Amino acid sequence: MFIYSDFVMKVIPLNIEAGISGFESPAAEYKELGLSLDQLLIINPDATFIGLAKGNSMEGVGIFDGDLLLVDRAEQLHQGDVIVANYNGCFTCKLIDKDKAQLLSASPLHKPVTVSADDEFQVEGIVTRSIRIHRKTKELSNVCFS
Amino acid sequence: MYALVDAVSYYASCEKVFDPSIRNKPVVVLTNNDGCICAVCPIARRLGVPKFKPYFQIKHFLAKHNVVIRSSNYELYADLSEKMMNVISRYCDNQYVYSIDESFLQFKNYSNIIDDWHDYGHKIRRAVWKETRLPVGVGFGSTPTLAKAANHAAKKLSGFNGVAIVDDDASRKEVLSRMSVTDVWGIGNRLGKRLNVLGINTGWDLANQSAKLMRTQFSVVVERTVNELNGIACLSWDDVRQPKKEIFSTRSFGQRVNDSYSLSTALVSHGAIVGRKVRQQQSLIKRLVIFAASSPHDDNYYNKSIIHEFTVATDNTLTIARAISAVINDIYISGVNYYRCGIGAIELSNSQFVQRDMFSTSDDNPELMYCYDGVNNRYGNDALKVAAEGLNEKWHMRREFLSPSYTSKWRDIPKIVC
Repeated sequence: MFIYSDFVMKVIPLNIEAGISGFESPAAEYKELGLSLDQLLIINPDATFIGLAKGNSMEGVGIFDGDLLLVDRAEQLHQGDVIVANYNGCFTCKLIDKDKAQLLSASPLHKPVTVSADDEFQVEGIVTRSIRIHRKTKELSNVCFS
Repeated sequence: MYALVDAVSYYASCEKVFDPSIRNKPVVVLTNNDGCICAVCPIARRLGVPKFKPYFQIKHFLAKHNVVIRSSNYELYADLSEKMMNVISRYCDNQYVYSIDESFLQFKNYSNIIDDWHDYGHKIRRAVWKETRLPVGVGFGSTPTLAKAANHAAKKLSGFNGVAIVDDDASRKEVLSRMSVTDVWGIGNRLGKRLNVLGINTGWDLANQSAKLMRTQFSVVVERTVNELNGIACLSWDDVRQPKKEIFSTRSFGQRVNDSYSLSTALVSHGAIVGRKVRQQQSLIKRLVIFAASSPHDDNYYNKSIIHEFTVATDNTLTIARAISAVINDIYISGVNYYRCGIGAIELSNSQFVQRDMFSTSDDNPELMYCYDGVNNRYGNDALKVAAEGLNEKWHMRREFLSPSYTSKWRDIPKIVC
């Protein structure tokens, strides 16, 4: 059987007091679980993947080259959402205009794209969060940003 | 009601999840060391790409049709499997994960909640596709074996579109009579041939046999299958996956090996894998087969296997390693270019019911193995190794067409054009 990560009990670490130990920490009673970014940022863990933004057409909504995107496939699509689509075989991040069947950029330098019947197009998921890496990390330093 | 939910050509479908450029292309996945084709996506199947063919034999055919080739990316498949199973688990409170891409569901007291199983099956398919981008087939049946048959119909027979239900006489007859007897769960090729001799060719033929007679002629397993095909549930989750009767670890070398040290380290590594699997299912090894061979396509094909019998059955990796080291000089011949080797535990016993020997004592060390498995479970296999496995990785897997680890390595996460 699988052990589902959601069900694994999180335990508050408390040290065992043995023998002469001086004063008990006055904060021991107040210890809580640490904050988890996953818990805060990821709504549907099984339907979410992490991608890397490349390009600058979405700077108007605060998505810059090299940002991390959390893409949620389970969330309901709304007009004007920031989405990731499979557009002709390529993951593309855009704003969606459902009524006009258009993909909009958040930059004056990029024109709207109208999706036609000849295009390969599927909405892949909703960009629910984006994360800016202000100081380089070792894990992402090998990633090719070009 | 039971259901079997499984993915359509799972490995090939996984390759398409994070690579939209190949979604509409024919894709095949190769086995360990890129030896054979083990998964063919539906588009490639329509081109006539056969499964289980050695890669080198149809290399040109694949190139001619621009088929996308991938090595097995187990890291990706394992991660996507967990997500897929989690999504499926929302649809039933009793899920049994049967393999990396199959899970059984048992619906008890759902008849008041679900009035249209067909519709429910499509709900499951849509949810799994939307959230994981994996296509699945859903088969409902009144027994696990019928659910498996329905799943076969859902995916392979015309007229079903990913969902099939076998829950009454009419649907049983329709589906089973269109299935070859070897497509019935638990009926292998060898058994199938023996049944064919008796004129039993389809699943429906088998369902109409006397269960008792099948038991006397074949085995209790066939008897159970006949009952299951007639809607009498006999299998519980524990029967569905019984402990394996044999455990093998074998693989062809990434590069040919021709020195005794490399062969010995490879064999001991296989021994360690067998040891781990044996302990997982709480068995003990009584008899071990140790083998090595050159390629059958070579001149002077060389093939040697030695059977080692343990005085006292064991699950200790160190004991297995010692047994291998003791026979390496009988297997290794200088000048042979070894192509594959392996270890098989061919006689197993249950570690909970051990027959002790009056004259020989076991030198097993369960505490050590418990600790060894514990460390490796926590820090990854091979965190702790037997020294005789060596550090030489020359014989490790060849994965020339490996896709990125999209979900498990930061440097491999999918790129999204903005």
